[in-house]
Amino acid sequence: MMIKEIFIVILLVAGCFFFLAGTLGLLRFPDLFSRLHALTNADNLGLGFIAAGIALYIASPWATVKIFFIWILTLLSSATSSYLIARFQREQEKSKNGEEE
Amino acid sequence: MDILIDSLLAILTIYLAFRCMLAPKLSKAVFVFFAFGLMLALAWIRLGAVDVAIAEAAIASGFMGVLMLDSLRDFSLIFSKNQERLEETASKIPIKKDSYHWTTALALGLGLILFLLISIQAIWEVPQGGGLTAIAEANLPMSGVEHPVTAVLLNYRAYDTWLEIGVILMGLLAIFAAGGLKQYRKPGLAPAQDPLLRKTILIFTPVLFLFGAFLLYFGKMGPGGAFQAAVLWGAIGILLHLGGWTVFTVIPRRMRQILVTIGLGFFMILGFTQMATGGAFFEYPPAYAGFLILVVETLAAISIAAALTAIFAFLTK
Repeated sequence: MMIKEIFIVILLVAGCFFFLAGTLGLLRFPDLFSRLHALTNADNLGLGFIAAGIALYIASPWATVKIFFIWILTLLSSATSSYLIARFQREQEKSKNGEEE
Repeated sequence: MDILIDSLLAILTIYLAFRCMLAPKLSKAVFVFFAFGLMLALAWIRLGAVDVAIAEAAIASGFMGVLMLDSLRDFSLIFSKNQERLEETASKIPIKKDSYHWTTALALGLGLILFLLISIQAIWEVPQGGGLTAIAEANLPMSGVEHPVTAVLLNYRAYDTWLEIGVILMGLLAIFAAGGLKQYRKPGLAPAQDPLLRKTILIFTPVLFLFGAFLLYFGKMGPGGAFQAAVLWGAIGILLHLGGWTVFTVIPRRMRQILVTIGLGFFMILGFTQMATGGAFFEYPPAYAGFLILVVETLAAISIAAALTAIFAFLTK
């Protein structure tokens, strides 16, 4: 029991650390692409750790499956949306550069 | 620990509401509104009202947010044409920093104090008997469902729910009456052609459909039901629309009209049939109540989903 609890705490703390790092990156990084990088990388990993921790904590197979699906769907949607944001920004920059030239 | 989370949530909700209202830019206001909706949904979950939380997250925050984002894009396209001129005029006019008049501040302050007093009084006099919960639960076996909230919504107070579906239809009619708003499409940029976006939407479509159906059926036993399911199904329509499949506009006109009105219509016919057979308006015979409620809910969900898709489709035409 003790070992399980220690594992849960480690996983949750790791998740929180990644969320913190991602937020810090979002606030401190200079441009949109590096911010997106910080946000998606850190948040996906952070969410993964927290989901794993919670799944261990609840310790029921069905809940674990549900949590896993939540994580997968969040991964999918956040990856796609940040790709779309990045693409939009790139196209805008391109059209701006084209106008300047 | 609980009180810590709850007070943090309360403070954040009010703070975000203020930020949303006082945001200097429209885009900022819209994004703060998303965050505000999320906080509100969490608050409903903390209060134990999962139904309201799902509806809040899906309709109030999700659907409204998408509509706002969409209109934001239109505004920015309209304004980007006039922006240079606007900036010119803006630089000529000295900007008044102190735009908060003391009358506004006084009115706001008085309103806040009044609101606080009323809420303190409301908290002070919480009804001890638990309101009508006992009666609602006592009559559950006769209602045809196993969840008190669903029983209230679709059996005891079916009249309210029927009118709510009508309200959504009225909103759609108002939008039709106002006509489509879009004339400002930016040429070139067409996210609809993006292969990755289309693929993701295709992955999400069956998941959303399944989850919506689950919420619809699960409404019998737990939080969930027609409105929550309808938003998820409506989300399918909106996503497909964003991905470039104009699903709703290719359906023949008659079919569309039937889809949008079938929920309200069937509900009404059912109510009058019950009246004709000697019962009260929306008095289900207990033996068929469960089945009838499921049919009504399914049709209502289809109708609302179609209406939500139509609102989006016709605003983005």
